[in-house]
Amino acid sequence: MSIVRTEALTKVYGVASQPIYALNEVNLAVDEGEFLAIMGPSGSGKSTLLYLLGGLDRPTSGSVRLRESDISALDDDALSRLRRTSLGFVFQFFNLVPVLSARENVAMPLILDGVRRVDALKRADDALARVGLADRGAHRPSELSGGEQQRVALARALVAQPAVVLADEPTGNLDSRSSDEMVQVLRQTVDAWGQTLILVTHDPRVAAYADRIVFLKDGKIVDDNRLKGQGSAEQIREQLNIMALG
Amino acid sequence: MTAKTNSFGTKTWQMTLMALRYLSGRKLRTVLTTLAIVFGVALIFAMNLVLPGIIDAFNQSMASVTGADLTVTNVAGGSFDPGPVLERIQATDGVQAATGILFRQFTLPERDEGDVLGDLKEIELVGVDPATVNDVSRLVMHEGRFLEPGERGSAVISTSAAALAPRLQLGTDFSLVTASGLQTFTVVGLFTSDSVLAVPQFILTLPDAQAALDQPGLINAVEVLLKPGADRDDVAAAIERGLGDNFTPADNATLTALPAMDVAFAMFNLFGALALFLGAFLIFNTFRTVVIERRRDLGMLRAIGATRRQITQTILIEGAIQGVGGTLIGLLLGYGLAVGMLAAMEPIMHEFIAIDLEMHYSLSAFAIPMILGPAVVLAASYWPARSAGKMSPLEALRPVPLAGMRHAARWSVIAGGVCVVVAIALLVSGSSGAIAGALLFLVGMVIAAPGLVLPAARLFGPLVTLWFAREGDLSRGNVARQPGRAAITASTLMIGVATVVMMAALVNSMMGLASDLTRETFASDVLVVPQSVAVYNNVLGAGEGLAEQIRALPEVETVATLRPASTSTDGSPLAVLGIDPAVYAQVSSIQFIEGDADEAYAALRTGRNAIVTALAQKMLGLDVGDDFVMETAEGPQTYHVVAVAHDVLTFKTSSAVISQANLAADFHTSEDVMLMINLVPGADKTAALADVQAALAGYPQFTAHLSSEYGDDLIETSMGATRLFYFVAALILIPAGLGLLNTLTINVLERTREIGMVRAVGGSRSQVRRMVTGEALLLGIFGAAMGVLSGVAISYGVITAFSMIGWELPYTFPAAGIVAALVIGVLLALSAGILPARSAAKLDIIRALQYE
Repeated sequence: MSIVRTEALTKVYGVASQPIYALNEVNLAVDEGEFLAIMGPSGSGKSTLLYLLGGLDRPTSGSVRLRESDISALDDDALSRLRRTSLGFVFQFFNLVPVLSARENVAMPLILDGVRRVDALKRADDALARVGLADRGAHRPSELSGGEQQRVALARALVAQPAVVLADEPTGNLDSRSSDEMVQVLRQTVDAWGQTLILVTHDPRVAAYADRIVFLKDGKIVDDNRLKGQGSAEQIREQLNIMALG
Repeated sequence: MTAKTNSFGTKTWQMTLMALRYLSGRKLRTVLTTLAIVFGVALIFAMNLVLPGIIDAFNQSMASVTGADLTVTNVAGGSFDPGPVLERIQATDGVQAATGILFRQFTLPERDEGDVLGDLKEIELVGVDPATVNDVSRLVMHEGRFLEPGERGSAVISTSAAALAPRLQLGTDFSLVTASGLQTFTVVGLFTSDSVLAVPQFILTLPDAQAALDQPGLINAVEVLLKPGADRDDVAAAIERGLGDNFTPADNATLTALPAMDVAFAMFNLFGALALFLGAFLIFNTFRTVVIERRRDLGMLRAIGATRRQITQTILIEGAIQGVGGTLIGLLLGYGLAVGMLAAMEPIMHEFIAIDLEMHYSLSAFAIPMILGPAVVLAASYWPARSAGKMSPLEALRPVPLAGMRHAARWSVIAGGVCVVVAIALLVSGSSGAIAGALLFLVGMVIAAPGLVLPAARLFGPLVTLWFAREGDLSRGNVARQPGRAAITASTLMIGVATVVMMAALVNSMMGLASDLTRETFASDVLVVPQSVAVYNNVLGAGEGLAEQIRALPEVETVATLRPASTSTDGSPLAVLGIDPAVYAQVSSIQFIEGDADEAYAALRTGRNAIVTALAQKMLGLDVGDDFVMETAEGPQTYHVVAVAHDVLTFKTSSAVISQANLAADFHTSEDVMLMINLVPGADKTAALADVQAALAGYPQFTAHLSSEYGDDLIETSMGATRLFYFVAALILIPAGLGLLNTLTINVLERTREIGMVRAVGGSRSQVRRMVTGEALLLGIFGAAMGVLSGVAISYGVITAFSMIGWELPYTFPAAGIVAALVIGVLLALSAGILPARSAAKLDIIRALQYE
C-alpha cells in the first residue's frame, strides 16, 4: 500500500519557448514505513521532486497523491494545514527560529495548528527525547552544535506524527560524526515507529541506510534499487559513477 | 489530535512571544526603529500641547461680563450710544431689567517689583452704572461696599484680582494705566469671582471707565435680566428684531482665530505630516529589511505549516509592539519637546503679542498621537507583512532571482517618473495643489529610487573610486547588488536632506521679505510702540492727548498714529487700522502691490475707501475696485477697495486700512496704539528720543525707540524664531542617520561570509573597512542628491502655497542650504558607516567563512 504516489509529475521552469524540464513525467510510489533515498547529480531534479512531494511547490502537470488524495488540487491554506499535520520537513540548513528555544521550535507546528501551548510543549519534549536530546530543550539554536540543531529540526518534523518526513540533504552541512549520528536516528525512526521517510542526498554513505534508492537524471527516474538496508556505500558510489559516465 | 481549545489565544501568544524575542534579539535595530516612531509621536504630541494654547491665547472669551442672562453687543464689537438701545431693550417683552456697561480686557504694562498691582498681568476693566447694574446681576460682595451712583475715582475689584495682588486691599490707592495716562483709583470693595481662573476684574463707574478707555459717553454691551419664566431664545429673537441686524443678543461668540494663526497652524501641520511620513517610511523601510532578512525563517515556518495569515500576523504583532512602545516613549519625549518649544517661543510671543503661553492638556492632544502612532506603524508594517505572507515556502528558502529585481526596478522608475511629472505639473500650475505636488514629488522619488540605484552607482561610483581607489569598485557593486535596500536607505536620507533644504529655502525667503518690509515700514525716526505689535486686542492705547503732547515737542515735525479696530466682513474676521492719510505716507511706507500709493491715500480722505492687505485680498477675494461690507458700530457699511498693500506689521493678517475719520465715525474709536514720529531736519535724535520718553511718563503701556534700532531688534527676534525651524530640521535628520546605520549594519551581517572571503584572498582589515565606508559614501551622495531635488520641489510648493493664502514670498533659491545639506548628508552617511565598517573589519576570517 503506497502512502505517496506521483503520476506523470512534471515541473517546467523557464519561458515557454525554452522550457527547462526539472521533472519530466515522474511516476513514483512510496510505501508506508519505507525509507527512500533520492540521489542524482546536481540539477537532476531531486530537490524539485522533494518540494513537490511536500506541497512546497506546485507541479506544472501531473499529480501528487498523499493517502490517495490529490494534494496538487489544494489551496494555499489547505496545503499549509497539510504541511503542519501530515508532513514533516528537515532542511540542509537547519532552519530553526533563532529566537525560540529548542522545545519551542519543535512545538511550532502544533502551536500553529492550535494545540494548547502546554500540550504542544509536552509533545515537543517527547519528540526531543526520541532524537536523543531530552536534556537540550531549553537551549536556543545558537547554543547547540550543528548535529544537535539538525536533530532538533528532525524532532520538529516528527512532532505532529506526520504521514511522511521529507529531508533535503539533512547531513549536507554536518561533519562526518554528526552525519553518522543523524542517519542512525533517521533509521531508528523508521525501524522503531514505522515512519515513512523520503530523503534527498548526494552522500552514498547516507543513502546506504535507506530501504530503497531512486536515481534521478535530467528530471527522470533512471534507476530504482530496493536495498532493504543491505546496500553498501561502495555499491552506491559505483552506481553513481556509472550514471555520471552514461 | 489534541483538542484545539483556545486555539486563537495559543497561536497569538506564540506569535507575540516570537515577536518579542525577535525584537529583544536585535536590540540595536529595535531601538533605532522605535526611535522613528518616538520622534514622530513626540513632534505631534508637542504641537498639540503647545498650539491650542497659542490659539486660545488669541481667542479671548467675550462671554457675559457680569453673569447676566443675556449680553447684547454690537455685531462689530464696537461701542455705541446707550440711550436708544437701552430703551428698546427695556421695552422688549420678557425683559425684567437692562444695564449698559463698557468693558475691555487688556494687558498691564510691566511694573516695578513693589507695585501694588503685584503679579496682575491681564485685567478686565468694567464700567457700570451703579444705579441699574444690581437690578440685572447682583455681584456677591466679599468685603467693603459696591460703587455709588455719581462716584468717581473708586474701584471694586474681584477676589481673583486680589489673589494676584495681595497688597490691593480695601482703601488701597493704585495707579492704573488708561488711555489718558496713569490715573489713581481707590479700592472700596471686593466681590467674589465666579472662579479662581476668571480674568481679574476692576469695576469702575461708567464715566471713569469711559475716560480710561477713551470712549466718552459710550458703552459696548447691554446686560439683560429676563423675567421669570421668559424663554431665553424668544427674548433674544425679540431684541434682535427690535434693534436690527446691527446688534446681537448672545453670550457673544469668541473671536475667530486670526488668519495669521491659521497659517501658523498649517505650517506646523505640514511639519507634523512630514514627520509622520518620515516615521512611516522608516518603519516601512525597517520592516521590509526585516522581512528580507528573515526570509529563511519565514519560509521555514511556511514549510512546517504556517498559513499566509499567520506569517502576516507575526510581522504585524512586531509592528504593534513597537508602535505602542514607541508611542508611549514618544509622549514623554513630546512633553519635553513642548516645554522646550515654549521656552524658545516665549520671548518672541512676548515681544509681539504680550501673552503668556501655557500647555494645553486636551483630550485630543493625547488621543491624536496615541491613535496615530500605533496606526501609522501598523499601516507601514502592513505591506511588508503582507508581502511576507505572500512568499511561498520555496521563494523564502531560495535567493530571489536577479531578473525579477531588474524587472521591478524598471517599473519603479516608470511609476516614480509618472509621479514626479504629475508633481512638477502641480507645482508649476501654482494651483492650491502645490503642497500635494510637493509631497507627490517626494513619493515619486521614493518609488523611483530602486530603479535609480544602478545609474546612480555608475554616476557617482567614479567619485568614490577617486577616494577609495582599490575598494571603490567593490563598494559600488555591493550598493548595486541590493537596489531595494540601497533605495530605501537613500530615500530615508533624502527626506532628511529635503527637509533641511526646504527649511533653508523657507527661512531665506521669509527673512528676506521680513527684513525688507521692516526697513520700509519703520521709515520714521522714532517709534512709540505698545507691548504688543501686530495684534492689538489686548492693548490699551492712548487718547489723542498723547499724540498732541508729542506733536508739541520742538524736535518733532510729524506724528502719525495707528488706530485699531476689529470687525468682520461676510462672516470672516477682519482687522481694521485707522491712519491719517495726510501724514502716514511721510513716516511709513506701505508696500503697494496693486494700485497707486498717492491715489490710494488721496482716496482714503474722501468717502469710505480702504486699502486691504494681500492676505485679505486672497482670503476674502477683495480686489481693487471691489466693494465690501464691514460690520461696524454704526451697522453694516460699504467700503471700496482702492489698493492692495501691506507692511511688516500687517502682512500676516487680514486687514483693511481706512482713515481715522472713518474709524471714529464707524467704529467709535480714536485710540492710538502706535505712534510714528518724524523729527525736524538736523534734530538730535537721542535728545528727541529722551523728550518723547519723558512725554510717555504717564503711559507705561508704551515704549519709545529709534526706528532703526527697533527694526533691527525685530529682525533679530524673528531670526530667533528660525532657530526653531532649524531645530525641527535637525530632529528629522536623526532618524535619517539611524536608517543609514541600520542598513549598513544589515549589509555587513548579511555579507559576513563574503567579507571573510575578501579577507581570505588577501584583503586587509583596513580595506574591508574602506569597502564598507565607500558604500556608505555612495549611499550618502545618492540620498543627498535626491534630497536636494526634492527639497527644492517641496520648498517651491510650500512657498507657492503660502502665496495662495496671501503671503507673497519671493522664492529665494537656497544655494547655501543646498551646499550645507549635501555636506551634512555625506557626513551623516560617513559617520553612520563607522560602526558597521569597524565591525566588518574586525570579523574573524574562519568564523566569517563558516557563517550561515
